[in-house]
Amino acid sequence: MRALALAYRSLMHRRARAALGMLGVAAAGALMFDMLLLSRGLLISVRGLLETSGFDVRVLASEGLAQSRAPLTDAAAVVAALEDLPEVATVVPFRIERAEVADRERMPSLTLVGVGPTEARVWTMLDGRDLAADPADPAEVVINRRLATKLEAVSGTTLVLRGRCSDEPSVLPPVTVRVAGIADFPFESTSQLTVAGRLPLLERLCDTRPGEADVLLVASQPEAGPDAAVAAIRRARPDVFAFSNDDVIERFEQVGFSYFRQVSTALSVVTLAFGALLVTVLLTVSVNQRLGEIAALRAIGFSRRRAMADVLWESALLVGVGGAAAIPLGLALSTWLDAILRSFPGVPEALHFFVFEARAVWLHVALLGGAAVMAAAYPLWLVVRLPIAATLRREIVS
Amino acid sequence: MKSAALVAASLALSLLVVTEGLANRTAPGDEPLPEILVSRQLLAARGLHTGDVVLLSGDPDGKPTRRFRIAGVYEPMPDPRRLTSERLEVRLHLPDLLALNGDTADPLADDTVTSINVKLTRPDDAAAFVREVTGRVPILNARPSRAGADDRNPFVVLGRFHLAIAILTVMTSAVFLLALMVMLADERRETIGTLRLMGITRTRVLKQVLAEGTMLAVAGALFGVLLAAATQGFFNALFQWRYDTSLVFVRVSASVAWRSVALAVPLGIAAVVLASWALVRSDPLRLLRR
Repeated sequence: MRALALAYRSLMHRRARAALGMLGVAAAGALMFDMLLLSRGLLISVRGLLETSGFDVRVLASEGLAQSRAPLTDAAAVVAALEDLPEVATVVPFRIERAEVADRERMPSLTLVGVGPTEARVWTMLDGRDLAADPADPAEVVINRRLATKLEAVSGTTLVLRGRCSDEPSVLPPVTVRVAGIADFPFESTSQLTVAGRLPLLERLCDTRPGEADVLLVASQPEAGPDAAVAAIRRARPDVFAFSNDDVIERFEQVGFSYFRQVSTALSVVTLAFGALLVTVLLTVSVNQRLGEIAALRAIGFSRRRAMADVLWESALLVGVGGAAAIPLGLALSTWLDAILRSFPGVPEALHFFVFEARAVWLHVALLGGAAVMAAAYPLWLVVRLPIAATLRREIVS
Repeated sequence: MKSAALVAASLALSLLVVTEGLANRTAPGDEPLPEILVSRQLLAARGLHTGDVVLLSGDPDGKPTRRFRIAGVYEPMPDPRRLTSERLEVRLHLPDLLALNGDTADPLADDTVTSINVKLTRPDDAAAFVREVTGRVPILNARPSRAGADDRNPFVVLGRFHLAIAILTVMTSAVFLLALMVMLADERRETIGTLRLMGITRTRVLKQVLAEGTMLAVAGALFGVLLAAATQGFFNALFQWRYDTSLVFVRVSASVAWRSVALAVPLGIAAVVLASWALVRSDPLRLLRR
């Protein structure tokens, strides 16, 4: 009988114990699998969001992304300089402030987005049309679906906006705008109400200096790529700071994401150790209860290697079946855990903390494989050191 | 607003930019320089010392500058929201900050503050105080400094995530315990059979199993709490070193300990009883394999 079949029969002999072992490995494995999804989930999700926006370089006034609120004071000149670069396809100045709807009662504050004159799509249109490249009168805006529902607004609806660009109430006159269309905005949170217009509208509402922008969104020429565009921007304008999507991800990984990465590492190690310990205990007890049987098999000619293979296969079966069950269980649990973390205030609606990738499955298999070998180490040592004659004698006497 | 400015003068105000090139270490001069406090992190990052004279500017370009003497070092107030930020900060007296950072064209610049912190005699009255201030001066935006316990507080969400992980961990432990107890019960098959044949009732055997399970579960839960209490210092030291902060990350409070025991003990007892139930209900002769 082959070692695998013997291991299978040994497990089937004590079904309840084997089932509990597999269940324990499945539970610990599911938690570990979730931590593997968490370890890179946010990064993958952020990268996806950055890449779907169509812009692969961001230009800021300061080096630290956390301080990106320091505005570019001469954005128009920078835009003109960057548009001349052969590595750059599109440059869009972008600014975010707050506003409110002045002609409605009890309206929460809105996120006011201002963009420069461009035909590039910063958002995804759902209904109506995008903003005209040139400022219109009355000014045009695009609003998100949530705000459209709240205001019962459609394309052509007129709104009166008032800036809320500081903690103090604005003394600037409200501005009448017309809704050109309804759009999905890539980084908006689940409760965010967004209104977007051209930069002159934002300057009128917030009394900001003309030509200021929080960030310049840059799309590189496909044949040049973002790295070449970043290098060209740094050469052309050393006074501004350009970051490719990879740079943004790298900084995010170093700063914003480190907490979740550490939680994920700590819990992966704990759950892996937990699963390995469970299998070690099960196998050790199983081997101890079968010492007489193993000694008898050795006595009739089973080699030491064959006896070891039996224990190793038992470990592989316990961990293998439990580990395989852990993947669907972990995916189901990750939906629940993801929903908890996505309720963080201000988290973009399209962002996920737990993201499935093939790499997580391979890592899961490799770690559990290592755990199976580790768990079998002590029982294997017992088998290797088993004195055949003394064990058989003890069995007969007892 | 003059009185407000005086109140705010004692508050911590941070200046974001102190570049290496702007900091020099001249010998103490004769002129009485305004004093500042420097955060521990800034002192270490820029190699500064108490008594050093430094140049500060409110402008990212570093112009104009003013000279200050470092009077001391302080540990910034731990703030979980700024966990991953470098705390490169200085504290200035409010008039010095206004002189450094104020808009010279604005005649009210030296009488302007961003916010006023108010310490109430009875902190529980914060909500009522906010309502009263907002009612009297509608242009003011007053809010309690203590964050609410709802989804707008990120730490409530983080706490919920950690609780979910804790529940999953305890459930996994319960499966582990159940597997161990099944093995233990299996080893006692003959003992239980013999006891039953001697006339010990099922209820009595079950009570014994229950007592044993309770002792095991309580001992295990207490050991877990003691282990957590003993290792919390290590985890705090590790994360405080990693993030260069005095923030406390792990605290085994009485409430946390009670919640752990309340969750672990019933699960442990249930695992023991469940593992032994089949044996207690079995025919004694079958248990003895006769």
